[in-house]
Amino acid sequence: MGAFNAELLKLKRSLSWPVVVLLPVSLVLMGAATQLAQGGQPDDGWHTVWVQSVGFYGLFPLATGIAIIGSLVWRCEHRGSNWNALMSGPTPTLHIVVAKGLVIAGLTAIMQVVLLISVILMGKLGFGLPGMLPGQYVGITVLLALMALPIAFLQSALSMLIRSFAAPIAVALVASGISVVALNVVGDAALASPYALVTRTALLGTGTFSDPGSVTAGDLIPILAAAVFLVLALVVASTVILERRDTRV
Amino acid sequence: MSSPPVTPPVVTPPVVATENLTKTYGGRSVVDDLNLSIPAGCVYGFLGPNGSGKSTTMKMLLSLIQPTGGRVQIMGRPMTRGTRRELLGSIGSLIEAPPGYAHLTGAENMRLVQRLLGLNREQIDDAVRTVRLQDQMDKKVRNYSLGMKQRLGIAMALARRPRLLILDEPTNGLDPAGIEEIRGLLRRLADDGVTVMVSSHLLGEIDKTANVLGILSQGRMIFQGTRSELMTASAPDVIISCSDPQAAVATLRPFDARHAGRSDVAIPALDDQQTAGAVAALVGQRIGVYGVRRDEQTLEDVFMSLTAGGGL
Repeated sequence: MGAFNAELLKLKRSLSWPVVVLLPVSLVLMGAATQLAQGGQPDDGWHTVWVQSVGFYGLFPLATGIAIIGSLVWRCEHRGSNWNALMSGPTPTLHIVVAKGLVIAGLTAIMQVVLLISVILMGKLGFGLPGMLPGQYVGITVLLALMALPIAFLQSALSMLIRSFAAPIAVALVASGISVVALNVVGDAALASPYALVTRTALLGTGTFSDPGSVTAGDLIPILAAAVFLVLALVVASTVILERRDTRV
Repeated sequence: MSSPPVTPPVVTPPVVATENLTKTYGGRSVVDDLNLSIPAGCVYGFLGPNGSGKSTTMKMLLSLIQPTGGRVQIMGRPMTRGTRRELLGSIGSLIEAPPGYAHLTGAENMRLVQRLLGLNREQIDDAVRTVRLQDQMDKKVRNYSLGMKQRLGIAMALARRPRLLILDEPTNGLDPAGIEEIRGLLRRLADDGVTVMVSSHLLGEIDKTANVLGILSQGRMIFQGTRSELMTASAPDVIISCSDPQAAVATLRPFDARHAGRSDVAIPALDDQQTAGAVAALVGQRIGVYGVRRDEQTLEDVFMSLTAGGGL
């Protein structure tokens, strides 16, 4: 708990906040830009606004956003002798790994909320759609926040091990591309990749790529199982690696 | 008649002890077979030229890096990856450069330490007062001078009220006033029972503070003991003033004698018996001996001769 509270304090004046707000807002704007320019309402109302924003967001921008947040959260530890200070304190390695992962996941969850609010505002103010965004999409937003946990822990591990700011982001970008292809080729077997997991979740109910268009319990079970397994595996692996790793000389 | 019970003398184990501590990188020994012993409550000056292995040793003491060979004992317990987090609760440290999150203020950095270590407000305030940084706490660390960063780093290390403080070149980059302030701080901490290990490549910086010295050269411990032991260990030259120094040097060639200016001849590593023999040899050659004395040398001279001036 102490490690997590300390991580929260480090977020003060962090550059993570602009990423959390600007990334989803700009994606919703980009998704709706063509339709807004043409005027009129989208054919399928709220569904179209959602697919245009979130469908694309789940392909690679979400993973890239998490990777940027991961690099920002770890960057301060790689500066000066902060790494030495972190590793020569009494905080257990497991707590450091979990606290960092949860902070990245927490920022990602806030990013999903910003996305949801942006989609609602676009629907109401941009297109003047009647009614409200269907509840199913609120559920998918919650699910997306949870399914981002494996990427949060994976990107946290990468940014922990790699001092470079850009390299973990490049990994996320490439891995997302491969995962999208894998989802289309091998289906749910691709869920072993955390990147495929968020893409699959973002596509839930959209009817695009491999998604049937409706959300059933059968769709959710493999996704949830994969997420729980991946988070546990990543926490254990990161802790073991960090525990054995020497500080640089 | 039974003899009165004998109370065994209390022997305080060293706070830090290493046994054949070695670190090798690619076949090159950075720290070689080091047997370090730091008594409780002392200021231990860890001296050596740049690159002599001081930082690597300190990192091994903190288990930041794992030794290639040998062992580390801290407060009587082995320091390993398995025990380090428990032991590190009682060790404050500052390795290489002062830590601190540049985007946060000094106060926020201290609050972070407070949260991380579960400390109370008083411990934080005490640490800040000790380094006299209380008036600079609302400034972002990015805008701190090097001296302020050093003091914040020390406050962060002190907040946990450590039994052992390991400081790697804490006076680096400080002005003379800052150096004197750190010296005073280390003395106060030692008076309060904290064992302090402080490294430097400059003897003068910790000479007045440390009561035990360890001198490292090319990864090997070349001296460990008190200041006076150091002076004794390095016997100064014998200087003989005489009527004919050239002839004296020739006579005393077996002793490696050399002309040391005007009427003086210097002879290294000579004990009392040999000194008497040298004087007798000169008298035998009818060279007038005006005086015989030991050369005066400073601790700096001893340090320089022990480390062969490497990197200084």
